[in-house]
Amino acid sequence: MATGAADRDAFRRVYALTSAKLFGICLRICGDRQAAEDVLHDVYITIWQRAGAYQPGRASPISWLATIARNRAIDWRRRHGRVTAPIEEAEAVADGALRQDDVLMAEEAQARLHLCLETLEERQRGAIRRAFFGGLTYAELAVQAAVPLGTMKSWVRRGLLALKGCLDGER
Amino acid sequence: MASADQDDIGPDDLAAAELALGLLDGEARVAALARVAADPAFALAVAWWEARFAALFADGADVAVPPAVLRRIEASLDGLALDGGRRVVAANDNPGVGAWRGAAIAAGLAACLLLVVTVMLALRPAPEPVRVPVPVPVAAQAPLLAALAPSEGKGAPIAAAYDRESGVVRIGGAVAVPAGRSAELWAIRGTAAPRSLGVMAAGRVVVPTALRAQMAADTVLAISIEPAGGSPTGLPTGPVVAAGKLAG
Repeated sequence: MATGAADRDAFRRVYALTSAKLFGICLRICGDRQAAEDVLHDVYITIWQRAGAYQPGRASPISWLATIARNRAIDWRRRHGRVTAPIEEAEAVADGALRQDDVLMAEEAQARLHLCLETLEERQRGAIRRAFFGGLTYAELAVQAAVPLGTMKSWVRRGLLALKGCLDGER
Repeated sequence: MASADQDDIGPDDLAAAELALGLLDGEARVAALARVAADPAFALAVAWWEARFAALFADGADVAVPPAVLRRIEASLDGLALDGGRRVVAANDNPGVGAWRGAAIAAGLAACLLLVVTVMLALRPAPEPVRVPVPVPVAAQAPLLAALAPSEGKGAPIAAAYDRESGVVRIGGAVAVPAGRSAELWAIRGTAAPRSLGVMAAGRVVVPTALRAQMAADTVLAISIEPAGGSPTGLPTGPVVAAGKLAG
């Protein structure tokens, strides 16, 4: 088709701009380089095929791509069970304090999530962040924190409730 | 503070948050995923949480990808093209990957990629060096973007990006133009008559200097099919195939 070559160029640019971000996401969740590479491969094939599903205005393009990568990595992780060895280079996660210089944070709604997380108790915030970055389940979070499953569920749920209240609080 | 807020959120919303965050496993996860497919309100709630949590992506470290991965992806895309876009053999089995249609995908792809590239470049004044030539200039002013919805209500939206520095509108995605006809781009401000921005060539239109003041947020861009070389009357004479509003 006529647009093929132009599409491929655009695709390479998108890849150059986004692949390191998406690979970091996959690596943290999969905990295995080869698996993370396989997931990343599938993510970009999906992006190539489903780009039309992107709705401008619903999320920023990078958020859309990153969410696809995260969900796909979690799919892999749920199918292959728990992975124990963390990948060092992917483990660097900023503390979540607001980074004024980060362009990804430019949107007010995104800044708000960080502000609201700050209002949670440390153990609630910590569990939610570990779940997000590591793709951890309730059960895995409980084992990591050495608390009963019910306790972890209660922390996270109360954290999510408070988060929702805070996010909805300011119109 | 959590106790005071507990009534603000129902069990459904909590379940949506749990799925979006990826906390569920086994049966609970399968059930929640099935509900996304069956219950639009629930799917919307999950998307809401995903969009909120996306703010956290900025905190995670980037990791360079080995070059072999891009080669493998490109090989798969080549295979896809040969296969008519019907099916790709994924590197690992994906239950969520269904059947796709070829032509519609190509149009949607270009639309999305143009937006991604434009937005990424606008967001990052100093991107990492990219070896392929970048036709999108790194503008001091962010481009105005529009998603032009197809008039017949089918197919993917066509992306348009207006570069305020160069006065160029770039159109991503295929516009079907019958032989011997031209696609013409129009700007419409409020209730005023459409003003011709020019005939599209190679997916772009250079906006005449006199009309650049028209190019602002809320201006509607429309594409019509006209006789070769453009409308003889100065107003659209053929069918409008897509239209959408510019946004900053």
